[in-house]
Amino acid sequence: MSDSLTSWLGSWLAERAIFTPDTLAIYWQGIQTTLSLVALSLLLGFVISLPLSLARGSRHAWVRRPIQAYTYVFRGTPLLVQLYLIYYGVVFIEDVQESWLWPLVKEPFLPALLAFTLNTVAYTTEIFHGAITNTPRGEMEAARACGMSKPLIYRRIVFPSAFRRALPAYGNEVILTLHASAIASTVTLMDITGAAQFIYARYYAPFDAFIFAALLYLAITLSLLYALRRLESRFNPQLRGVRRQRRKVMFFGNAIPQKP
Amino acid sequence: MLNLHGYGARLLEGALVTVELAALSLVIAVVLGLITASAKLSGRRLPHLIATLYTTVVRGVPDLVLMMLLFFGGQMLMNQLSDLLHARFGLDIFIDINAFVAGVVTIGVIFGAYMGETFRGAIQAVDEGQLEAASACGMSRALIFRRIRFPLMMRHALPGLSNNWLVLLKTTALVSVIGLSDMVRVATQASKATLEPFTFMLFVGAVYLLLTSLSEQVFMHLSRKYNAGFTEERS
Amino acid sequence: MTTMTKMPDDASATLSRPETSEILLKAEGIEKRFGDTPVLKGVSLAARRGDVISLIGSSGSGKSTFLRCLNLLEQPDAGELEIHGQPIHFTARRQGRVPADPRRVQWMRSRVAMVFQNFNLWSHMTLLDNIIEAPIHVQGTPRAEAIEQARQLLLKVGLEERADHYPSQLSGGQQQRGAIARALAMNPDVMLFDEPTSALDPELVGDVLKVMKQLAEEGRTMVLVTHEMAFARDVSTQVMFLNQGEVEEAGPPEQLLVDPQSERLRQFLSTR
Repeated sequence: MSDSLTSWLGSWLAERAIFTPDTLAIYWQGIQTTLSLVALSLLLGFVISLPLSLARGSRHAWVRRPIQAYTYVFRGTPLLVQLYLIYYGVVFIEDVQESWLWPLVKEPFLPALLAFTLNTVAYTTEIFHGAITNTPRGEMEAARACGMSKPLIYRRIVFPSAFRRALPAYGNEVILTLHASAIASTVTLMDITGAAQFIYARYYAPFDAFIFAALLYLAITLSLLYALRRLESRFNPQLRGVRRQRRKVMFFGNAIPQKP
Repeated sequence: MLNLHGYGARLLEGALVTVELAALSLVIAVVLGLITASAKLSGRRLPHLIATLYTTVVRGVPDLVLMMLLFFGGQMLMNQLSDLLHARFGLDIFIDINAFVAGVVTIGVIFGAYMGETFRGAIQAVDEGQLEAASACGMSRALIFRRIRFPLMMRHALPGLSNNWLVLLKTTALVSVIGLSDMVRVATQASKATLEPFTFMLFVGAVYLLLTSLSEQVFMHLSRKYNAGFTEERS
Repeated sequence: MTTMTKMPDDASATLSRPETSEILLKAEGIEKRFGDTPVLKGVSLAARRGDVISLIGSSGSGKSTFLRCLNLLEQPDAGELEIHGQPIHFTARRQGRVPADPRRVQWMRSRVAMVFQNFNLWSHMTLLDNIIEAPIHVQGTPRAEAIEQARQLLLKVGLEERADHYPSQLSGGQQQRGAIARALAMNPDVMLFDEPTSALDPELVGDVLKVMKQLAEEGRTMVLVTHEMAFARDVSTQVMFLNQGEVEEAGPPEQLLVDPQSERLRQFLSTR
C-alpha cells in the first residue's frame, strides 16, 4: 500500500518537472521574504498602534480627529492602491534619488513594508481602541479606589485587560496581514506568490505553481492559528476547557475568522 | 486643478467595471454563502465536510493566489479542452476566459466562504420558537423562510454582510493584476504614461472612499429596517 | 399494542359534554419516544365542540409533548390523528413516521392554533402585523378584512392601544395576550395552550387567565397544559392527569380534582 503510494508519488513528481531543487529554492526564498515582510510589518504595526489607539480615544478633537481620518482612509481604500501609491510615488519625491534613502526604496521591499505597516496600523489601532473603550467601568473605578495613578491604571489594568479582549480580533488581523502580503508580488517582490508567478511563467504550470503556493500559505495560516489559540488560552485560562473540547472545530470549522 | 490628462473617461469606465464586478460577485457570494451555511447546518456529514473544506481552504489562502489559480489555471483548462475538442471532433473553438467573468466568479467564490460563516451564525441566532410559531400557524416552509426566517436572520447577518461587502469592494482592485481594466488598472497605465502616480492613485483612492462611504450609508439604512422591533430591547 | 392504550376511547367520549356534538380533534394511542426514552405510551383524547380539556401532571409526564403531537410540531411514532373526522395519513421513513402530505399538515395546523409558553411573537413585526400575518398569507384573507378582524381581537384581549408596538416593547402578559389574539385570528376549531402562564411574573398571570376564561365561556374548544389548578377546575369540562407518558386518571374536574382515585394524583395535588 505505502509502496504503491510512494511509487505513485514518485512518478507524479517526475511528471512535474517544476519541483526541482532550483524551483524549491525560489519558493524557499519566497517563504523567507513573506515571513520577514509580515513579521516586520506586524511588529512595527503593533508598536505604533499602542499609542495611536490611546490617542484615538482622546478627549481632544485635534488629537482624535486626524487619527480617525487616517484609519478611515486606510481602511476604506484597497491595499493595492496604497502600495502602488507608495511604490510608484516614492520616485517622485523631490531629491529622493540623490539621497541616502534611494538604494533602500529603489527595491520593492521597503515600500511594501511601509504600505503594509501603514495599513495594519490603521486596522490594529481601531481594534485596540475598541478593546480599550470596552474596559468595564468597574475595573477602572476599583483601580482608582485603590489609589492608583492614571498611568499606573493604564499600565496595570486597562492594557492587560484590553489586550485580552482584543486578542481574537488581533489574531484575525495577523492572518489577514499574511494574506494581504501576497499583494507585494505585484510590485515585483519575490514573496511566495511572486515565486509562484515566476514558476508559472517559466513552466506554464498554473495548477502546480499556485496550488503549491496555496498550500504553503495554508500551512503558515494554520501554524499561526495554532500559536494564536495557545496565546489566547494562556491569557484566558478559563477558556481552556472549552478550547480543548472545541479544538477540532477550531481547526476545521471556524478556525479562520472573519475579515475585519 | 485636477488634471487627469484625458484619462477621465477611461477612469470612469474603470469605476463602472469595479462597481459591476463587485455587485455581480456579491450575488454569487450570497448564493454560495446561503448554500454553504445550509450545508453546514444540515447535519449531514458529506455536505458538512465539503462546506468545511471549502471555507477553510478559501479563508486560509490569500485572495490573490486563489484568483491567479482560478484565472490562469482556468485558462489552461479551457485551452486543453479546446485542443481536445479539436483533436476529437475537429471542432475549432477557442475558448478565451473572459477576464470579467473570471473576476466575478473568483471573487464570488472567495466571498461565498466568508458569507457562509456570516449566514451560519445568523441562521443559528434565530429564535427557534418564532419559527415553530410560524409552522403552528400552518405556514409552508417557503413562506416561513420568506416571511419569518429571512427577515429575522438578516438582522444578525447585516453587520457581517456589511463588512464582507466593504472588503469585497476593495478586493476588486486585485482583478487589475489579472488584466481586467478596472479603475486601478487604468490608473496604473495612466501613471506610467504621464509619470504622475500621485494624481491617479489618489483619485482612485478617493473613488473607493466614496464607494465605501456610500455603502455604509446604505447599510445603516438597511440595519434600521431590519432592526425594527429590536431598538427598545438594546437601549 | 395492548399495554399502550390505558384510557379506552369510550371513556373519553362519556367524559366529555353529554350532548352529542361533533368531535373536532381526536387523537388515539399517541406514542412518542426520544431516542430510547419513551415519552408517550399511548395517549388518547377526543375534543368535542366546546370542550375545555386540561392536561395536568408533573414535569416530564409527557403532557407538553402530547400537546405538541396534536398539531404535529412533534411527529408521533404511533397513533392516529383526526381533525373534523378527517385523518392525517403517515408514511414510514427511515428516520421515523412522517406525515404523507405536508399540505394537509399545514391545513390542519391552520385549524388548530397554538399558544406557546414563551409567546413566540415574531420580533420583527408589530403586534398588528403578527396577528394579520397568517390570515393573509396562509388563509388568503384580504388585508383590510384581516386588519379589521385583528383590531377587534386586540380589543377583546385588551391591547387595542398596542397594535403598533413591537413585541420587545410589551410586557410578558401583554405578549401572551397578543399571542392569543394571533391564534384567534386564524379562526381555529381548536386552540392549544402550552403552559401559557408559566413564563409570566405572578402579577401578570391574572390578565392572561381572564382572557382564556372568557374564551372558554364563549364555547371555544381548548386543550391546555397548565399548572394553574384553580383555573383548571373553574373552566375545564375535562381534566386528564398524565403520569410517565400515560393517562393515569381522567374525568370532570369536580370529580378528579376533589376526589382523586389514584395515589399518584393524590400526591400530585397535595404538592400544589
